Amino acid sequence: MTSETMTQSFETISDEAYRDLEAAVGAEYVSREPGVLDGYTWQPTINDDPAKWVKRPVAVVLPSCTEEVQEVVRACNRHGLKFKAFSTGWGVYSGCTYDNVVQVDLRRMNRILEIDEKNMYAVIEPYNCGAQLQAEAMKLGLNAHIIGAGPACSPLASATSGWGVGWDGVYMSYGHRNLLGAEWVLPDGEVLRVGSLDSGLGWFSPDGPGPSLRGIMRGSAGALGGLGIFTKCSLKLYNWPGPPHMKTEGVMLDAQTEPPEHMRFHLCFFPDRASLDEAVYKMGESELAYIFTRTAVGAYVNTFAPHLLQNVSRTRAFRDVLSKTLKWGCTIILVGNSEDEIVFQEAVLKEIVSGQGGLSMETMQAAAIGPMMVMNFLRVSAIPMVFRAGGLFSTALARNEAWDTQMDWAEKGEKIKQRWIDRGGILDDLADNPFMALYEQNTWGHCEEIFQYNARDPKHLASLEPLFVEFSVAAMEMCMEPLSVTDARLREVISPMMGHYNEWQKKISLFLDARRAADTGMYCDEVDIDLSKIDPEIRETLDRMVAKLTWSEEGPPS
Amino acid sequence: MAMDKDKLSAIVGSENVSEDPDLLATWRQAGPVSGGEPQLLVRPRSTAEVRELVKLARAEGINLVFSSSAPPRVRGDSVPAGEAVIVDMSGMDELVRLDRRNKVALIEPGVTFERLIPEVDKAGLKVLMPLLPKRGKSVLASALEREPITIPKYHWDMTDPMLCTELVFGTGDLFRTGSAAGPGSLEQQWAAGGAQKNPMGPAQTDFVRVVQGSQGTLAAVMWCTLKLEVKPSIHRIYFVPDARLSRLSDFTYRALRPKLGDEWLILSARQLATVTAEDPSRVDELAAQMAPWTVVYGVSGYEYLPEMRVAYQEKDLAAHAQAAGVMAASEVPGCSAKRMERILASPSPEPYYKAAPKGAFMDIFFLTTLDRVPHFVSVMEAEAGKHGYPPERVGTYIQPIQQGRNVHLEFTLYYDSADAAKAGELFTSASQALSEAGAFFSRPYGPWADLAYARCPDTVAALRKVKDMLDPDGVLNRGKLCFTREVV
Amino acid sequence: MALADYKRDMEGCSRCSSCKWVPFNQIKSWRFAKNCPSICRYNFHAYSGSGRMIIGNSILEGRSELNDSVAEIIFRCQMCGACDTACKVYRDDIDLTEVLLELRAYCIEQGELIVEHMAMIDALKREDNVLGEPKARRGEWAQGLGLKDINSETCEVLFHAGCRYSYDPDLRDTLRGQVRLMLQAGVDLGIAGAEESCCGGRAYELGYRGEAENYADDLLSRVKASGARTLVTPCADGYAHLKFLYPRMGKELGCEVLHVTQYLQRLAQQGKLRLRESVPLLVTYHDPCHLGRMGEPFLADWREDKLQRPMSLKRSGRKGIFDEPRDLLTSIPGVELTEMERIREYSWCCGAGGGVLEAWPDFALWTANERLEEAKATGAEALVTACPWCVRVFRDAAAESGLELPVYDLADLVMLSAGITETARA
Repeated sequence: MTSETMTQSFETISDEAYRDLEAAVGAEYVSREPGVLDGYTWQPTINDDPAKWVKRPVAVVLPSCTEEVQEVVRACNRHGLKFKAFSTGWGVYSGCTYDNVVQVDLRRMNRILEIDEKNMYAVIEPYNCGAQLQAEAMKLGLNAHIIGAGPACSPLASATSGWGVGWDGVYMSYGHRNLLGAEWVLPDGEVLRVGSLDSGLGWFSPDGPGPSLRGIMRGSAGALGGLGIFTKCSLKLYNWPGPPHMKTEGVMLDAQTEPPEHMRFHLCFFPDRASLDEAVYKMGESELAYIFTRTAVGAYVNTFAPHLLQNVSRTRAFRDVLSKTLKWGCTIILVGNSEDEIVFQEAVLKEIVSGQGGLSMETMQAAAIGPMMVMNFLRVSAIPMVFRAGGLFSTALARNEAWDTQMDWAEKGEKIKQRWIDRGGILDDLADNPFMALYEQNTWGHCEEIFQYNARDPKHLASLEPLFVEFSVAAMEMCMEPLSVTDARLREVISPMMGHYNEWQKKISLFLDARRAADTGMYCDEVDIDLSKIDPEIRETLDRMVAKLTWSEEGPPS
Repeated sequence: MAMDKDKLSAIVGSENVSEDPDLLATWRQAGPVSGGEPQLLVRPRSTAEVRELVKLARAEGINLVFSSSAPPRVRGDSVPAGEAVIVDMSGMDELVRLDRRNKVALIEPGVTFERLIPEVDKAGLKVLMPLLPKRGKSVLASALEREPITIPKYHWDMTDPMLCTELVFGTGDLFRTGSAAGPGSLEQQWAAGGAQKNPMGPAQTDFVRVVQGSQGTLAAVMWCTLKLEVKPSIHRIYFVPDARLSRLSDFTYRALRPKLGDEWLILSARQLATVTAEDPSRVDELAAQMAPWTVVYGVSGYEYLPEMRVAYQEKDLAAHAQAAGVMAASEVPGCSAKRMERILASPSPEPYYKAAPKGAFMDIFFLTTLDRVPHFVSVMEAEAGKHGYPPERVGTYIQPIQQGRNVHLEFTLYYDSADAAKAGELFTSASQALSEAGAFFSRPYGPWADLAYARCPDTVAALRKVKDMLDPDGVLNRGKLCFTREVV
Repeated sequence: MALADYKRDMEGCSRCSSCKWVPFNQIKSWRFAKNCPSICRYNFHAYSGSGRMIIGNSILEGRSELNDSVAEIIFRCQMCGACDTACKVYRDDIDLTEVLLELRAYCIEQGELIVEHMAMIDALKREDNVLGEPKARRGEWAQGLGLKDINSETCEVLFHAGCRYSYDPDLRDTLRGQVRLMLQAGVDLGIAGAEESCCGGRAYELGYRGEAENYADDLLSRVKASGARTLVTPCADGYAHLKFLYPRMGKELGCEVLHVTQYLQRLAQQGKLRLRESVPLLVTYHDPCHLGRMGEPFLADWREDKLQRPMSLKRSGRKGIFDEPRDLLTSIPGVELTEMERIREYSWCCGAGGGVLEAWPDFALWTANERLEEAKATGAEALVTACPWCVRVFRDAAAESGLELPVYDLADLVMLSAGITETARA
């Protein structure tokens, strides 16, 4: 019976198309029930539409294998439907951007197919989450990169289709760079296997023969579902000299982990930015760290004790302690393969820190913070706690680059956020709340400025799109690729500033997807954006950036 | 193919166009690849000129073969399949920027290892080297062709050490990859602190990966940034000789997993002797004195507590060696650790080291995993036996890459003019046999293209679409890879 | 409260899917990483805690409607609370179990009823128990034990047997043994016999709130009449309802409420229950949801912005009964406890709860078999638990699947060690 009057209408799928989907995966694994479909439509995270709903798919399917995925894609092609892959599905990127899209929920494809212990890689399916892979890898003395969005996320999705940054990037690189092979259902339903796999030689090498199709598959960001569906991939694993299982009691704030023998957890603080920067460069050159991140005190307090921050931030002295005295810090986990190695690493860290006038506190072996926090860093398990303060958060990231530029981005982000905090547009997290990481035991890194907001506050929700534009413009000003390169609303503006990248993406889309079956909203589409609600000075800056940075026929402006 | 010298001269200047047959001769044949018919050579001096050349080629149907390195040419990728204009990029040889803080060099194609190494050294950095590159080898071309470097721990991904690039596609379009894509010019990016350090992107493509390994068939690279690393303050080299490859493999797996060691390579006696012999005529003698296999590894200390770093690495490596049943030594017959250290940091002496002992050589190389190497070695030995080829004239080089997850496995056939035919036959049959045994010819030069692409028709179909997009008129290095004939 | 009162909870969902997983710090393997039987069995997101909240929000926003198939989705859930506990590891402003309960009540209001549940409620109304057994036979289990009848006498301790124990012949020895253990310890114990009724908790979980309230009043009056200062129940379901639901409904029993394992453990600590006989057995312990995370006592209702709710008032599941059963178990000589991967507040459900056993027995058995496999993976020789519903479904599932793993009520092993021979299953 109808219990409420439906006030909205949506596209529906034809019976014929629906039957084809049933034939592809089995009737039990298809649904067009609106309530079920809305389970894939509610996507509030990193969604600056205050409504938080994205386009509702016309059906959702649950294939169990690559062949079924192919059949679904072919059915979509036959019936003029689009499709969009969905794995663990957190964030607006998983959602549909068109009407008449079939959402392909890959939840039933969830296996770890192989762990090659010697050659350090794992072959996985889409609905395998980071925590699962890490747990199994650790049993073999290996570890898996877990992205900053946390261990619920699919490593396959981030490596093939999303981004791939994490705190462990210093030791375990970046999602895309960890990819050793992929099985890829193209938008026409054919399967393409990337790298040595396609030659029937296994999952060990991702490039060639000759040119690498990995570069068509994705870039610094993935195609976000716009180029097909990835059904398997091979990812690098890394050395893990700790125990097969990190013995932990408790689940989060009560967690206590038994300290592994050769692990140290350091909190370091420096007197100013210059000394922090210098120390980070020295750490990179010394090839230190298993986990590294900037310590954003406001973020930590707002995550682990949001009420505390809300209360103490009213006290100027305490606020100053958090936002000034402890401003320039980093969190480092060192892991050694031997007693001598960990002693060496810790000695170097102490020399670097003291050499920059900093303070270093070991909290794993000697104090309580490490045992409580270490799993939160190794497994990135605390990430959903960022919701505690207001219910939602969003982010502004710019191009990964030299550490100095990332610190510049953090400072810029802090200024932008402070203005929005002052005007009541987002929550107060002391403004300085960057998620930062280093890559590959080197000196290049990542910074995204996190901002938390009240999910139920219309004023906060109204701030989101203006913030999106403002951060994008700020990135342009700083010659950094903004997150919005993947957003249809600003592609038309940004693409000409970056070699018209989107013209190439459109061509790739065309040659792989002649029938336009993939949902390309997050890959190469361009839509208009209403800038009337954007601050005039931001609009003016945007206009100035367009004039200054757009490529001419000769190339970039000098 | 019409070769309009005037039109080419109008772009690069007549002084930069050559028809000198002696000069062009080096592009007629290389290794197993022959039949090149270079008609003209042009030397552009700028990206703008290259773009004009590509536009002209599209209009006139000219086959452009880009080439950056000095001879000898050994792979054959720049030997045209038929007629061509050679675009000699060696004149674009500026070391545009050396960024010590961010450990990055921005180089043009003409910058050679010989030129770059001392410049980088002065800055306290080091170039990530392949083993004994040709003296006149373009550093950019080496990275572009995914030549393996000798320090696996710095080989995080197959793109390394190449970072960002400026490309001219076969359409004539200009493009920049990685963080060099902008927004902003290089100068604007530098002013903002950018170092062109991130190789990925821009946005949702990675054209640098597409262009790497493409043998100049999709785009020409105008410059690239190159990842450099800190020059050690202490650097020691060790040899681990052993009769059994399995023990050295075990040792290698144990060591590379925790990222121990810097340089790490495994050489057969023949190959080690060839690499190390000061007098090429003594290679046979030295090889006979050496263990069948030797791991060569380096340990380093950097700015902080270098002795302590070296000490823990030596101790941990010794423990792994003991567990694997092998033992490190400070020298091998004819070569000290110090000499090996110099070899690993230098380009090849002249003549090219592989050519020195017998006058000629051919390489067969591909990717695999370390545990499968013994299988390929036996296949190679069997093939040599079948052809009556002396086994001691086959050198083997095993280079762990991707931090030990893969290896570049290289067999070198050393021969003199009397044995050329036999070597050629062995090259062909061994390539076939190794391919059948599972060799992944990820860099399919010359005849390997057919072997490699026959195994992956789906990849071929996709690559042809990429070719159609980036070089729709087929003006870049026509006839290479899978871009000509149907692959069976 | 009405569904609309939970709009803020529902629209607070970030869709992070934490509700589908064991708290991340406790994931120990690929195999046993998930926590929600419903999403694991049916796979569409709608079958997760998050998905059901989205359904509620969608209905309220006029995007979709409640119909038979949506109601089925809402009810194909054991109400085990694993999603709520997992969500609350990370955030404070969503009471997922309450939303699920509200959705069920909303279905009943709207006439979206599950036939098997209707039958159960009819039986309950008729016979005062959820199994539809004759009310007059409810006290038969206690024949010959010499227990006080609270209908005519007062007692120190009121023993509330619960529906499943009162009627399941397979569990009778266990129930009688529990009572004998207490009597042996000198406890002044009384029962309501045939007058004992269901606690009403199951009716509340099925959305029939009026019935639940009536049964609460009924029990309240019995407790008062008994004069008991302590109520002991061996039913984990009932325990949770008495500890949480009753105070939430404003029904204060006015006495201490203990699960039988708590009480036996207390007796053992006091030396009144002596566990002397060795029971050489490697066992693993299954935390019943309603004794564990759902057994957390009611703290307080928070009507304000839940973002501002003090942590101390958040129902996290961590204050349930986890340690006493383990202490009791490991105090038995010879018993060695090996833990499963999913334990305590992140335990996997047995499958029987929330009306699933009655409406979709295949789903209940599937869920139970998942747990049995986890138990088997520990190498244990037996699975021990402390809830009659769990024991029932585990034994049925093992029989169905052929998985050889004896299932014991904790009391069975206590009896063996205490020398009470009533148990037939040991």
